[in-house]
Amino acid sequence: MKRIVVVGGSIAAVTAAQSLRAEGYGGQVTVLSEEPHPPYSRVPLSKGVLAGRESVESALLPLPSEDIEFRTGARAVRLDTSGRTVTTADGTDIPYDGLVIATGARARRLTGDSDLVVRTLDDASRLAARLAAAHSAIVLGGGFLGMEIATTCRTLGLEVTIVDLVPPLLRLLGPWLAELAVAAARDHGIRVRVAPDGVEVLDEHRVRCGESVLTADVIVCAAGDVPNTDWLEDSGLALDAGGGLVTDACCRVAPGIVAAGDVVSRQGRRTPHWTNAVEQGRTAAASLLHGESAHPYRPDPYFWTEQSGLDIKISGELPLTGTPEVLAGSVDDRSALLRWHREGGTATAVAVNHRLPVIKLKRLGAGVPTPVPARTRART
Amino acid sequence: MTRIVVDFERCEGHGLCEQTAPEVFRLDDEGELHLTRDEVDAEYESVVAAAVRVCPVAALKVQP
Repeated sequence: MKRIVVVGGSIAAVTAAQSLRAEGYGGQVTVLSEEPHPPYSRVPLSKGVLAGRESVESALLPLPSEDIEFRTGARAVRLDTSGRTVTTADGTDIPYDGLVIATGARARRLTGDSDLVVRTLDDASRLAARLAAAHSAIVLGGGFLGMEIATTCRTLGLEVTIVDLVPPLLRLLGPWLAELAVAAARDHGIRVRVAPDGVEVLDEHRVRCGESVLTADVIVCAAGDVPNTDWLEDSGLALDAGGGLVTDACCRVAPGIVAAGDVVSRQGRRTPHWTNAVEQGRTAAASLLHGESAHPYRPDPYFWTEQSGLDIKISGELPLTGTPEVLAGSVDDRSALLRWHREGGTATAVAVNHRLPVIKLKRLGAGVPTPVPARTRART
Repeated sequence: MTRIVVDFERCEGHGLCEQTAPEVFRLDDEGELHLTRDEVDAEYESVVAAAVRVCPVAALKVQP
């Protein structure tokens, strides 16, 4: 392979590109990112960056090494798998011998492009400017992101209401942990409005929840994400019902094509989380270079959130059913190390405001993934 | 030699650096990060670069 093209510009894309070098690939590596920025982490966007406490620059990740070409403002619009070419929005055709698809996902919008969301650095900057001049906010969506945005709104002194069709965090975490987090949210001054009959955005400031209408200076949409696979529609590659790009256990999509990160659908679902993006980036690079002898991707189900004064770290599969074993601390104090035993003998460990090395948490939960050594002598 | 700089204000103790380069990054019993060395030579440069990159809160930097 003379040239490998990586489509995407976030952690999965950059990890894959850098892993190609770590695996000893000596050909050309070109990364196509649609964003105007160098690679950055989305993790601080809903917190420090949104609060205006941390600069945009502080979210930047190290640039890829100099032997990797990183193009910004290069949005892929078409893939021709038989001609082995990616076409960008400006009409440039970029030929490849190997392809890594890591185009991630975008915010799901409820009304249109004018929705305020938190997905990209520019989204967060735009919303930060609006929050700085606001007294109240409505956050549509009670997932991790929505709860984190609401927490930041409270930090800024805004009145904030979370609105969702179902109780916040319930589907994600299960009832026990969701109730603990929602109780903390209410104590933090966050209002929670569950509207099973439907939520309708009436205009920039008004939301209908069932019979009543809520108003706020700012409405933020945190209603999940949609995989960026529109550009693959005519490519012939398999997409799942939700638009995720289907891969096998080794992150392979088709001959000479692998994928990593939020765009990937594996075993019927997407797992859009940081550690999965990293592990898949590494696996995708190795699979592209080593083909049949590649190692399957080992999921590292590690999740965390900071909201309403809670620092929650989780190792293991979600959601959780039943009541946990309390290994340390106290649930009443909302500072505890918890463990749920799951069917099939696995466990999920959760630290709530409980400091411990994450490796210990993983030993109690899903286990610690063993790094696959890079084959530094391999040449392709 | 490459110098490792940690922003301890940002560090949330996720330990992905330790998972990637346990020779250099260690979390103690409180989940606080410690470096086994501040500077690394060529032997560790690429593994440290990989560890710095996977920090989800961008708390790690390397300086030449």
